[in-house]
Amino acid sequence: MTEYSNDFTVDEILTVLMAREVRNDDVMIVGVATPMVWAAFTLAKVTHAPGAIYHYIMGNTFVNEPRQVSLLYLEMNTARAYRFQNSGECTLESLPSEKLTTIEWFRPAQIDMYGNTNNICIGDWNNPKLRFPGCAGIADFSMFYSRGSFLYTPRHDTRTFVPKIDFISGVGFPDGKSSICGGSGPQCVVTNLAYLTFDDNPKRMKIGTIHPGIDLETVKNSTGFELIIPDDVKETKLPTEKELKILREKVDPLGIRKLEVLAGKEREVLLNEIIKKELAMENRFPKLII
Amino acid sequence: MSLEEAISIYVQDGDLVGIGGLSFWRKPISACREIIRQNKKDLTVCTFVGGIEVDMLIGGGCVSHVKSCFVGMEIFGMAPHYRKAVESGSIKISEESEASIALGLKCSYLKVPFMPLKGIIGTDFPKVRDDIKQFEDPLGSGTQLMALPKIDLDVAILHVPYADEYGNGNIAGAVWLDDDMAKTAKKTIITCEKLVELEDIVHSPGKAQLPMQTTSAVVKIPFGAHPTSCYPIYTFDPNHIQRYLKTEFEQYKQNFILNKSNVQYLDAAGGAQTILNILL
Repeated sequence: MTEYSNDFTVDEILTVLMAREVRNDDVMIVGVATPMVWAAFTLAKVTHAPGAIYHYIMGNTFVNEPRQVSLLYLEMNTARAYRFQNSGECTLESLPSEKLTTIEWFRPAQIDMYGNTNNICIGDWNNPKLRFPGCAGIADFSMFYSRGSFLYTPRHDTRTFVPKIDFISGVGFPDGKSSICGGSGPQCVVTNLAYLTFDDNPKRMKIGTIHPGIDLETVKNSTGFELIIPDDVKETKLPTEKELKILREKVDPLGIRKLEVLAGKEREVLLNEIIKKELAMENRFPKLII
Repeated sequence: MSLEEAISIYVQDGDLVGIGGLSFWRKPISACREIIRQNKKDLTVCTFVGGIEVDMLIGGGCVSHVKSCFVGMEIFGMAPHYRKAVESGSIKISEESEASIALGLKCSYLKVPFMPLKGIIGTDFPKVRDDIKQFEDPLGSGTQLMALPKIDLDVAILHVPYADEYGNGNIAGAVWLDDDMAKTAKKTIITCEKLVELEDIVHSPGKAQLPMQTTSAVVKIPFGAHPTSCYPIYTFDPNHIQRYLKTEFEQYKQNFILNKSNVQYLDAAGGAQTILNILL
């Protein structure tokens, strides 16, 4: 019998929900500086999706074996599997193929009700109030994954969920119409408060489930546009004991995924702790999970 | 040739400079410090995914324009000087995606003015890039495409683990865009961890991904990518990256850049302890 647990943190429910989206025949694209995505994919790989393979953007390599999430030694996973490619392939390897489906998680700084996303800037592009690092490959691929694109944010608030984003760098459902370029468009948004999906016709964001302990008003008030609310709002299925145990003990025992959730002093303390522990490791290959 | 000579001869004020590597991985940081020491000006920096190297060059006042799809400090946060410079308007940026850089270099290699991409369509990129254009497949399939312009580098600066004296470079891990940068730039500077024999390059997996016929200079600089990584020799130095983020740039420049030989730099950066920390 599956045992569910009430004893989990925000990073854990996010990671578990993201892992549950992975299918056994997926290529899981791991981007730069996204340890939570890496943890989610590894959790999926060692629980329900053993056939899924990693595509590490950082090494541009396809890797089969799951290893413990690492901050400093990621290259030991990716670069070793490297096969020579020229620059076109180096970027375009993520393009959907006929044979394999692709799953990639994007973390937007801003998102609108149609799933358009912004990772470029706040304010006018010519004179930004806040400049973000940039959107990397999101502008290239968001619109045509056959499985759609997958979104997550640990900051479900009215700064992230806005009526109008300042720059479209990831394409959702333009004005609520179908996705362009033959892709399926955004499939879900996993947040610290809820699991959001998209309604059909028009394609607009709606509440899928709400996390335990969160009420509907909080979700509505934390969203800067009107969400479609189903008649019967269900609660998100809790993480299982097994999922939490594997995540905490095998996939990411150092808690590197938490760096995506924490801020300020608390984050700095954890970061220093992780660095210290990893520098002290004699064996610099992230541990193989079997 | 010394690093000082290589930068002085091959990097000119106003150049479009391609920088190899990605994020915190295999960046030619020692060469960037030399560019700052020589006070080069008005450079346009083009890199696939930028990090501390772009930020340092901006802090050093060497940059007027950046072409990159991402400039950040990964899990350590934002790139402070990049962010400040863009927000204040003191540098210009060209909004790029991964493909716009990769295909821009590919154009240069193929000597064509643009390459088509089935991406970027539907984004706001065309509003801030008057040099890209959506068009319909001229061969009649009806497919909408985006034309991305070529990127002709004046000089490419690349750091690799192994190179020979003829200018053949071998990269043990991911090459990213380094090979196209090397092949298309008018001049190519390679800095390397180890100078090896041609025979060693021939027997290394991938052989000479950076071919000798396009290399202008090879300079041996052990730990020349520090504080970024150089697989399979060392990983990035998280302590130094944090120190960089916590230090005013003028102070950082005094401590780690001005009048510092490679030995003095490594000593200042923690010497043997730091080297043992990062060795893989």
